[in-house]
Amino acid sequence: MKKQILENIISKKNNKEEFAIVTNISNGENFIFEKNKIIDKNFEKYSDEIKNYFNNKQNGIIENTDIFIDTYFRPIKVIVVGAVHITQFLLDYIKNLNFEIFIIDPRDYFASEKRFPNMNIINKWPIEAFEEIKTDSSTALIALTHDPKIDDPALKHALKNKFFYIGALGSKKTHLNRCQRLKEAGFKEEEVNSIHGPIGINLGGKSSPEIALSITAQLVLESHKL
Amino acid sequence: MKNTSDEKILEEANLWINANHKVALVTVIKTWGSSPRQVGSKMIVNEKGEFLGSISGGCVESSIIEESLKLLKDNKLFKKIEFKVTNQNAWEVGLACGGEITIYLEQIN
Repeated sequence: MKKQILENIISKKNNKEEFAIVTNISNGENFIFEKNKIIDKNFEKYSDEIKNYFNNKQNGIIENTDIFIDTYFRPIKVIVVGAVHITQFLLDYIKNLNFEIFIIDPRDYFASEKRFPNMNIINKWPIEAFEEIKTDSSTALIALTHDPKIDDPALKHALKNKFFYIGALGSKKTHLNRCQRLKEAGFKEEEVNSIHGPIGINLGGKSSPEIALSITAQLVLESHKL
Repeated sequence: MKNTSDEKILEEANLWINANHKVALVTVIKTWGSSPRQVGSKMIVNEKGEFLGSISGGCVESSIIEESLKLLKDNKLFKKIEFKVTNQNAWEVGLACGGEITIYLEQIN
């Protein structure tokens, strides 16, 4: 592989673009396939199969050929509201997974670059922050402030936009109160019940890293149902 | 198949190249039966035998490091290697799990 292709791949990964690395394993040639771009002439005759693999988000060798396809897809967005202690551990776990992660917290002493180096931090209230992030049914929300002022607007946005995973930190009692508020705000019972609260798979632990692990496990479980 | 993890192998490969290392990029291109890593899994090896990532659960890595060193030393561009169930005649190492994998090595140049 040429260094230039490698650099191109890295830049496309950073820009969260969708593409495939196509390699001819009989002569070592590679090219980067993109949906609306012209296919390299050396790979032209495989264009239908390449598109097929790409559209099916599949990796592999095209049958009866020497052409290998390695697809890269836009990662699932995970939005964490609350730059709290648990969030620091949570990011340690989920940064290794293929997620595009945003942290929202209006409190700048929590959401600081020092506490969260090299992360997308949005130092705004959730309603303002969501104006900057395109969200849909393949977005996840993890609400960790357990402060209704901050969590509730984010939860409402997530419910309206049908996020595939919505989790909220807080005890059973805190969660019951939260559900009550959301119902009063007009959300249906089944919508409110779709929120994972108390958040996480019950692993038995109560420490911050253990709670972060239980949230990670639940997020991964739900993301594989997509 | 979704890419569910982001191991930054390619990013690290670029850093190694920029630090004047020779680098072989190793990719799982085909699997049969129960092989531990899925198609597209990657590993990089430099001329010192330092490596990052994995292409099996540790079963064939040592052999792949040797093959990568050879590729870099001979200044070859690419090579395809198949590993089958442990077979002393063909390979020193094999997949204890009974799976089979095909590995593609390419030099980054």
